[in-house]
Amino acid sequence: MITTVVGNFPKVAEPKYGTAVIGAINSWQKQELSDDGLEHVFQDVTRAVIKEQEEAGVDLLTDGQIRWEDLVTPLARKVEGFEINGLERFFDNNVYYRRPILRRTPVRRRPIFLGDYLFAKSCTTKPIKVVLPGPYTVVRLSEDRYYKNVQPFLRSIAEILNEEARALAQAGAMVIQFDEPALGFGRPPLKQVVEAINIATQGVKAKTALYTYFGSLNGAFGALQGCRVDLLGVDVVSDPKAIGAIKKQKRWTKELALGCLDARNTKLESVTELHALFDVVKKLVPEDRLYVNPNCGLEFLPYEPARQKLNRLVEAVRRYKSSCC
Amino acid sequence: MLLTTSVGSLPKPDYLAKARTQARKGGLDPKALRKLEEQATREWIAFQDELGVDILVDGEQYRGDMVVYFAEQLPGFKSSSLVRSYGNRYYRKPIIVDEVRRPKPMTVGWWTFAQSLTARPVKGMLTGPYTIMDWSFNEHYPSRRATALALARVIHDEAKDLERAGAQYIQIDEPAISTRLDEIDLAIETLGIVTKGLRAKTITHICYGNFEALAPKLMKLPVDQIDLEFANRKFELLEDFRKMKRFTKEVGLGLVDVHSHRIESVEEVAGNLKKSLKVFSPEQIYPDPDCGLKTRSVEEAKEKLRVIVEAVRAVREELCSPRPSVAGQAAR
Repeated sequence: MITTVVGNFPKVAEPKYGTAVIGAINSWQKQELSDDGLEHVFQDVTRAVIKEQEEAGVDLLTDGQIRWEDLVTPLARKVEGFEINGLERFFDNNVYYRRPILRRTPVRRRPIFLGDYLFAKSCTTKPIKVVLPGPYTVVRLSEDRYYKNVQPFLRSIAEILNEEARALAQAGAMVIQFDEPALGFGRPPLKQVVEAINIATQGVKAKTALYTYFGSLNGAFGALQGCRVDLLGVDVVSDPKAIGAIKKQKRWTKELALGCLDARNTKLESVTELHALFDVVKKLVPEDRLYVNPNCGLEFLPYEPARQKLNRLVEAVRRYKSSCC
Repeated sequence: MLLTTSVGSLPKPDYLAKARTQARKGGLDPKALRKLEEQATREWIAFQDELGVDILVDGEQYRGDMVVYFAEQLPGFKSSSLVRSYGNRYYRKPIIVDEVRRPKPMTVGWWTFAQSLTARPVKGMLTGPYTIMDWSFNEHYPSRRATALALARVIHDEAKDLERAGAQYIQIDEPAISTRLDEIDLAIETLGIVTKGLRAKTITHICYGNFEALAPKLMKLPVDQIDLEFANRKFELLEDFRKMKRFTKEVGLGLVDVHSHRIESVEEVAGNLKKSLKVFSPEQIYPDPDCGLKTRSVEEAKEKLRVIVEAVRAVREELCSPRPSVAGQAAR
């Protein structure tokens, strides 16, 4: 069993690495802080959140997405063709994102996340997982004033993500994850989504992961098994029925990442609760093909509960391993 | 007709913003802060009075976040640390750790103070139970439903006390109402518990919503008036209302965008109001800004309110006098 996080980590931690990010962004917006000055603060905090994960004993880390305003803005800012517009609610959260508007053919002129990955890699000897927004979620969260048609939009974003993923793999990224929370809402065009994911992962020389969270997949696991990814992430907290649906699966060809702690509520899960979930999925996926993580990014929580959840996750896995072997 | 109002919050003047920061760091005692909050409230009431706004708000000079303000006064809640809501904005998302109780009124004192400063009616301002539930962590109640129901009883008691103190208008904000489609009915049920038995006019303000999901439920909202952001959505909502079979509630008509620095012109606002009069009757419409103005500067907020009042005045005159086009033709 491999412990990991889904992506983001609290950007501020009053008792630990402080609120430097808030002040730095404010000053930068007022043009009182240079780009380099802001980058310096981002790097300090990234280093701190990587250390937090190391200290908690997590196996597979992320850079905490400290520079990310939301799941789509970093991509929309660097890919040509997008304009960044007003605030919209981020799925079913009291959290808002800026809606990108697509005006022209999207083009990736330069790497999007490569620099961030290289910096994160330099901070630790543990493996760093790179998180990218999935093509379907980018499409769903954007306003399409160019194609006015899901399929070509999905395809071009998938191609851009593929270029990025290839570059990341070449730079040494061992795991590349695509986040698709949009799959939990409404009726996603699964066939097109699978095609897009397969474009995004094609020829990527790294382990690839598709992470779903929020809402309910309504048992779309079967269709998603058709994606060319190594690892499939499922949030069994937001959708408790998912655990039943997983149980019913006859065949599970992928590795499974079990989103088993609620990263949207401070109430701390017990080790017993977590072990009960491990027991269920163990029957379907052997332990060496099982990843465990919170159900989504930890940034929905304040720092202290986020840290407690990570500690609890690691504790539960350690005790599970020692009890059954 | 066309009674002008505001959605709730107004920006805090610089002296108050500074004092709040100072107080947070322990450098200013609560009494001194209170004096400044009262001063700012007086200024805003006087401004609205002089401008000729019909239904006033106290401007919430003493509130920070619309949920945290209530959570801080309700035993059962524990304050927590910073959580990001968007961009570079953070708030201290409260945690429910025990049964929520209301030992004493939370908003009646400030409402009474504000009402004592003017002869025009001042709105009572509450946050709805569904939104308080959705914007808090919960470690106590077994479900989201149980949490919202418990909060509904507490907010109902507060509304009753506001009414007893003399409030003729009570607004219960539910910006979170359409967050989860499968919970819209819960939000409506809990809002109904709040407004049950109230004789005061009840209003709910909703923003950042999934309007399509909410539209079929609008007539079911247990309030007299529904306040919505029209300007920020380029008045596209008018089309949705036009298509609706029967909408008989009053509508709080957001006429200026609170997220933009640009001050709309009187002509533009009057034009949009006239467009709205093709969908709603003059008695139905309560013109106001899209949302609370607290994110704008004091000057911007004043200008935005002024534009609304002037536009409404112009439209009222047109409605009351013979149609200018007809008069013009007769003269020719």
